[in-house]
This record gives sequence, structure tokens and C-alpha cells, in this order.
Amino acid sequence: MLIGIDVGGTFTDGVLLDGKAIAATVKYPTDNDDLKTTLLNVLDRLLAGIDNQDIDRVVLSTTLVTNMLATDSVARTALLLLPGPGLPLDIYRLFADTYFLKGSIDFRGRKVEAMDRKEVEAAVADIHSQGINKIAIVGKFSNRNSELEKAVRKIVLDKFPSMEVAIGSETAGQLNYLRRIVTTYYSIMTKEAWDGFVREIETALLQRGITAVVDVLKADGGTMPLHLSQSKPCETVFSGPAASTMGAVALVMNPRNSVVVDIGGTTSDISLLIEGQPLYASKGASIKGHYTHINAFSVCSLALGGDSPVTINQDVVSVGSRRKGSAACLGGELPTVIDAFNHKHRLGIGNEAQSTAKLTWIVQNTGLEIETLCTEVENIVINRLQEAIQNMFQEWENEPAYRVWEVVHGRKFNVQEIIGIGAATGAIIPVLARKMGVDCIIPEYASVANALGACVARPTLALKVHIDTENGYFVLDQEGISGPIAAGRNMQMQDAQDLARQHLIEMAKVRGMTEYADEAEFYLQEQFNVIRGWSTAGKIFDIGVQISPGLIKEYQGVSR
Amino acid sequence: MKQTGLVFFPAFDWAISPTHPEREERLLYTRDQLFEEGIMDLPQIREYKSRMADKKDIARVHFCVPDIEAQITEAHLVSAGSSLVIADAVINKEVDNGFALVRPPGHHAMTVAHGNRGFCNINNEAIMIEYLRKKYGLRKIAIVDTDVHHGDGTQEIFWHDPDILFISFHQDGRTLYPGTGFVEELGGPLAHGTTINIPLPPHTTDAGIHYVLDNLVLPILDEFQPELIVNSAGQDNHYSDPLANMSFSAQGYAVLNEKLSPDIAVLEGGYSVETALPYVNMGIIMAMAGIDYSNLREPDYSPAQFKESPRNMEYIKKLVDTQLANFRGKDEVVKQNRKKYEQEYSYYKKIFYDTDGIHEEQSTRMRMCEQCAGYRIIQSTAQHPRWDLNRVFCLSVPTYGCPECQKQAQRIYQEMCENSINFNYIYLQDRVDDVYKCMDTVRRLETVL
Repeated sequence: MLIGIDVGGTFTDGVLLDGKAIAATVKYPTDNDDLKTTLLNVLDRLLAGIDNQDIDRVVLSTTLVTNMLATDSVARTALLLLPGPGLPLDIYRLFADTYFLKGSIDFRGRKVEAMDRKEVEAAVADIHSQGINKIAIVGKFSNRNSELEKAVRKIVLDKFPSMEVAIGSETAGQLNYLRRIVTTYYSIMTKEAWDGFVREIETALLQRGITAVVDVLKADGGTMPLHLSQSKPCETVFSGPAASTMGAVALVMNPRNSVVVDIGGTTSDISLLIEGQPLYASKGASIKGHYTHINAFSVCSLALGGDSPVTINQDVVSVGSRRKGSAACLGGELPTVIDAFNHKHRLGIGNEAQSTAKLTWIVQNTGLEIETLCTEVENIVINRLQEAIQNMFQEWENEPAYRVWEVVHGRKFNVQEIIGIGAATGAIIPVLARKMGVDCIIPEYASVANALGACVARPTLALKVHIDTENGYFVLDQEGISGPIAAGRNMQMQDAQDLARQHLIEMAKVRGMTEYADEAEFYLQEQFNVIRGWSTAGKIFDIGVQISPGLIKEYQGVSR
Repeated sequence: MKQTGLVFFPAFDWAISPTHPEREERLLYTRDQLFEEGIMDLPQIREYKSRMADKKDIARVHFCVPDIEAQITEAHLVSAGSSLVIADAVINKEVDNGFALVRPPGHHAMTVAHGNRGFCNINNEAIMIEYLRKKYGLRKIAIVDTDVHHGDGTQEIFWHDPDILFISFHQDGRTLYPGTGFVEELGGPLAHGTTINIPLPPHTTDAGIHYVLDNLVLPILDEFQPELIVNSAGQDNHYSDPLANMSFSAQGYAVLNEKLSPDIAVLEGGYSVETALPYVNMGIIMAMAGIDYSNLREPDYSPAQFKESPRNMEYIKKLVDTQLANFRGKDEVVKQNRKKYEQEYSYYKKIFYDTDGIHEEQSTRMRMCEQCAGYRIIQSTAQHPRWDLNRVFCLSVPTYGCPECQKQAQRIYQEMCENSINFNYIYLQDRVDDVYKCMDTVRRLETVL
């Protein structure tokens, strides 16, 4: 049996999946000050009457890191940056306690300027004297050569062995120094708290006699083992929307070009599936306005939900963004979006008469008819959703391309279906789909899609290898792995791919996901001849290989 | 805060040939530098996606022989199209200025295109300028060609156009391809003084180029009052360029772009792919976006490295004085030319296509029109190494041509189509009506764009 739990901002959802049957579902209010207890409460409810030994896998999706970063309830962290020449230093001064150091690397991984030991020592002494015990060390092009970052780390740890240190090359090895700084900074900042949470969960599970695999859901819709998540707390941000999107994939089983709309009480999250594959945010997850190297689904969040209140001001109808309570038909004081749809389409949600009554009440003494009011509310809601969806298509279609064939062939998103999940979806999505002229799917269990998505998401792994045969080295964008390769021009594309695949297989083994390794596919295969004078001096390869998000092999769908 | 539009199109899957300087690798290290700096993430930069130019955009500028398909690859359409993306973004005020960081380049491509010259088949800037005129009604535009090679293609295309100010500074043509761009090349009889060449001695440094900028280029631009300034932004004045011999730095390029403040920059040449381009491109972007570039430098650069010799400086000062006088006296010369040539102006020339090894002979007749820049008839013969001899007859009506010039050109096109047996192809470039015709006289087949 499989368990999936998604801790959301308001509610925490859980499902217990037994073969093709959803054996139990739980919805429980989230205590944001004590996520562990919330989580265990949901777990215990799911486990009621079950032999804990029968649990094969538990997947958790939690807002812990997201909340910590959003509320600034984090430890003070210093940044030691080695930016070298280029953009002005001020652009890299994103956070307080930033120190700039000498030393630079260029795009071929060559050391251009050495670091200054004395300068490092002075900086770290200053950091220590301020009572800071977390440091992120990040150099420009450290993903091509981590020598300087490692040397600085050694100086720091020699001097202060208890200092918590993360370096950029081991945290986020993709090109983009700005995002590497942000990712490394937030990672080391949240690591201690996350590690504590992991230990507590592990203990609690052990106490319950659960020996199953425990995974956490990442922003990229894949899972990683809980015990290996300790160096990567930031990958758990925004796992909520990822859980919902994966839930849609799991419930529909064979999605096409789809829009997934998750309409909750106060917000709507929209994501896209392109030929069934979730679309990633091209610039990575954005945390507090900073782009990061964290792979995340492209999600558009609107402050619009089923409980958004309907108001009339001088005959102008508007839909508010702040929830003031549940819909009138479900006992609320004020009419909401749900009530308008309920009345207009005779949906029979809750006490439909209450919807009509409250709507009638607010049109009193205005020049409006109740039917006009409902039509206007519907238009507002549908237009905002449709506009957001169109913007997402357009952004995807207009993403920059760097190869001739990509531009020539272009991109066009032909939406085939809208998959509606979340509590308020049933009222709104059919109207939206009708307006857009596409199929509408509202699966059974749509209200716990998020927990199911977490439950059946498979592990993911993506890595990129950069190979420079002229300089005789390769680097991985994961965990700072690098090494020498035979110099010269003999390496072929096939050899480069083999090297990438080999590393993927090894990393998959460590993560207990060997069974998915042979499904890895190459998403990037670039080869450049390095010509000096008129002859080839070497080659540069960039190879990307990944195990994409998907569903675990055991999952066979949900029976009705 | 300023915002700069950027199209980065490195054409990673296109090369003239595997070891040619214009190859896949050319913007690889620039990509690494731009992406690693994270400059596209800054609010000052807005990145746009490339698109393909239409064939009509090309026909507005070029007579491609025998047709457009024969002269271009898809990469050329994307490169030209990228400039149009930037042009739209700037004119529509989505951004303050823009840079099309694209390849393949274009500034050696001339009106009649039989093949590739100096790595260029079609002229990206010229295509962009005629597009801007047609779509938005712009008229007066200045192009400053900062490539180390003389922008002979752009010069030729706008030679007779008094509304386009073409300024090119470059390494002296006696020492470098294409061997033109001398002081005496000042434009056609009705557009005299709107072509300004500044041939610089080899090893000219930042100081020399900035002197030219401050004392010639900027004052001329001020007096010309263009609606738009375009930087034809080659990067091969750099001290590390393998094909030229100048001593310009990334800082120098940044200062140049800050002072010039172009509305649009379009990448041209520059083949020091590893030691110059990553830094020069950063410099141009930063300067255009108003980002402080004082921290930008090449790994091997030291400010004291290059010093302008007093002899060079003296030469440059004289050059500047001469060209300033030429520019300021232009209206008087045009007046005299009108008397001198009366009805028609004609000339003959030979053109060599270095990349493709084509020899072309051309004779041009231009109507000395009182109302407009005058329509032109170009007769061109070229021996292509792989194809047959091509003889073509081209009629070009200027963008702001008068009804009489348009009528005459249309009539001659009709007559030629009916009677001529001497030419394989007859072309009509009617920019007033935006109609482009080509008659294949052997197959009696007309195509109209």
C-alpha cells in the first residue's frame, strides 16, 4: 500500500492507495506552526486499522521550506562571493552579509585570478564575530572549475570547524551565477531546520513501525529519498502545485495537450501538460522574486477561487481576492463565485436556495438583475482564467530559441482538454472548457488529486555534463562532480552520451531508483568543434540526460 | 531604469563550413558568459525570441539571383528576422533600445546578390531599415558601422539615399578586406555627404576611435537629426581579433555604445570567439542597458597596454576635419551635381565575391529626379563557379519615390518582360507599392511578392 500526503497552506490532504483502490482519504487543517504534528495526524488517520508493515512507500510534500523562506523565520547566513570581472558587484549583492573576494574563473574553467587567503580569513573572522554560523561560498563559473570555492571552504573550516558551509558548484552547477548564489544561499540557510524535520519524521515513522521507503516530493514533480534530501532542502519548495499537477496526470492517465486548473477556495493554480509532460518554468523556481536553479513546474497562481466574494459597487460587479468565508450555499455569510455559478447553472451545490437568496440580497437597491449579476461574475472569472491560460501558452511559444530548426519549426500549443481539480473545480471548469471549445475532464477524486500525485510520483533525476576535450576535463552540474578525460579530438557524441548516462546510472543507484534509469532520455546534445587557426583543437560537449517526471510503475490507475 | 531588448540567436546549428570563422562555435563562449552572468534575469534586459523574416522583407532590399531561395538558408531568414523583432520592440516602445546578437552577419551584402561576400548573403540592417520605413513610415535613419571591415554592402545599398546617413569607421582598406571605404567615397550625386568613411590606421586604440566618435560621428549625427540610430556592431576592432589589426578593448566598445546610444545594434563580424566576443558583447549590452560596466575587462587586459601614437592621432585629427567639412558641404555639392548630370547619372563597376569566388560586372543608370532619389536600373552579369552565366536587369524604385519614377520603372519592366532576350531575369523592386516582381525570361515565368 502507498501513502501520499500533501501539506498545503490551509489543508493537508492524504490518501492511502491499495492497488487500484483509494482505501482512505483525509483532509485536515494545517497548523503552520507545527507541520510535523499535522503531518503525523494525517498519517495516523490514514493508518487507522491497517498493518503498518503493509506500507510500501510514503511520499511527503510539504511547505516547510517555502514557509520558512516566506516568513523570514530563517537563520542569518553570510555569502562569500567570488564574482571576478563582469557585471557590477552591486548586482550580486542580493542579500545582507555579502562579502566579495578576489579570485576568478573563466568560461573554459581556467583560473584567471588567484584568491587571497588573508582576505578570506578576514572576511570569515568578521562573519564569525557577528554570530553567523552559516556561509554560502559561490564563485562565477565555479561550475566549470570548483577549485577556488573549495579552497575558500577549506580556509573557513580550518578556522571554524563548526561553521555550516555550502559551495555553489556542489549545490547548483548550471550556468547562471545569480541563480547559483540564490540557490546556495537559501539551501544552507534552511538546511539545519530541514535536517531537524527529517530526523523527527524518521523517528516518528520508526515509532510507528513503518519501514517503508520514505520520499519527499520536489518542485519538479519527482521524488527523492528523505534521507538524501538533507543537502537539498530547497528542492522541496513549491511541491504543492507539483503534487496537484502530478495528481492530474495520475487521474487522467493519458493526458494530451492539457491545461490543469486547480481551483481552491482562494486561489487557482494553472499548469500545462504538453503531450502529457508537465511544462517547466524556464527560469527555474522563483523564490521571493529571485530566480533559482531549482527545477519547478511552470505554475500561474491567481488570487481567484470558489470562495472569492462577489460584490456590487455602484452597479459595477467585482470579484474580490480576499476570502471572507465559505460560499453562501455552504453556510457562508456572503455570496461568492461558487454561489453565482450554483444559481446560474442550477448545480445544486449545498443549499442552492441560499446561493439565490444571498445573491438576491446584494442586487437589492441596485439597477441589476440577479441573472445579469451571475453572468457578469461568470464572465469575470472565466475571462481571468482564460487570459492567464493564454499568457502561459504565449510565454511558452515565445521562449527564446538558439537553433535554426527550433525557430523554423516554432511552437504552437493546441490545447485539447482542461483537467479540473480542487474543491471548486466542478462549478467553473465546464463553463471555461465550453468557452475555449475544448474537452473538460473532472476526474473522480479530483479533490485529493494533490495527495494522490505525491503518492504515485516517481523519482526524477536530471544531470548535465559539460565536456571540454581541449582542456581535458568534464564537469557535472550535480554535486560538484568533475574529472579528467583523455584530451584531444577523438571523443565522439556517442562517448559523451555514454559518459553522461554512466553518471546518471551511478547517481540513480545511490538514490534507489535504478529501475527507472533505463528510461532516461537525452534532452540536450550539443557538440562544438574548438577551432584554433584552421584546425580542430578539441571539442566541447554539453549533454543533458534525465529521468522525467512520471508515475511509479506499480500505479495502474484508480478504479471507480 | 532603461530597458534593453535582446535577441540572442547564436545559430548553434549553422556554419559556412566546419572550420570557417563563421561557424557554430562563434557565439558559444558569449552564450556561456551571458548565461553565467545571469544578465537575462535582470529587469534591465528583456529577451525576445527570434523569428524568420519574410521573403518580401528581403526583396525590399535585394535582387537575389536567380531567386531568394538560392541565396539564403533558413539561418539567414532567422538572423534577419531577429533584427525585425528588435526593431518592432523598439518602435513600439516595449523597450528603450535593442540589440540583435545574431549570426550570420550581413553588412557586406549588396543590392544585387549573386552569392556570399565577406561571410554575408543578405544585409540584416538594410532589411531592417526598409522594413521600418514601410511598416512605420520612418524616413531619416543613421547607421554607424563599427565593424573593423568597411561596411561596403550597406554603403552600396544606401549610396543614393539622402535620408540614410551611413558612417563607417574601419581599418584602412589598403590593409584589410574589402579594400574600400576611403575618404572620397561620399555617396551618389543626389546623396552626396550622407556616406562618411573613416579609414583608420592599423593598431588604432580606444583613444583614437573615441576621438573620431566625439569629434566627427556625434556632431554629424547631431546635425543630421535622424529618427533612429543603428549600430552595425562588428566586434573585430578588438585587439585579439585574428582577421584584423586594431587595438580596441571591451571597455572601449562599452564607452562607444554609451556615447553613441544607438536605438538598435545588430551584430556584424568579430571572430575572436573566445578572447573578445564574450566580453565585447557583455560590454555592448551593459552600456545599452545603462548598467555600470567598470568591472568588465578581458582576462589579459591592462589599461596601459595600448597607447595611441602621436603620429596616428595627428592623422586621425586631419581625417576628422576633412570628413566634417565634407559632411557640412554636402548640400552645395548636391546642387552642383544636379546641374552637372541633368537627366541621368550612370556608372560601371566590378564586384568580387570572395567567399563564393564570383565575378560580377554591373552598370547602373539612375534618373536624376527633382522629386525623389530617382529610380535605378542595374544591369548585372556574373559568372558563378557552379552555375551558368547570369545576366539580370533590375529596376529599383526608392521607398519615397515619386509617381513619375514609379511609373517609368513599371513601364520599363513591362517592356523588358515582353521584348528582352538578353537577360535571364528581369526584376522590379517597387518599394512605393511594396511589390516585387521577377520575370524568368527563359521559362516565361513571373513571380510576384
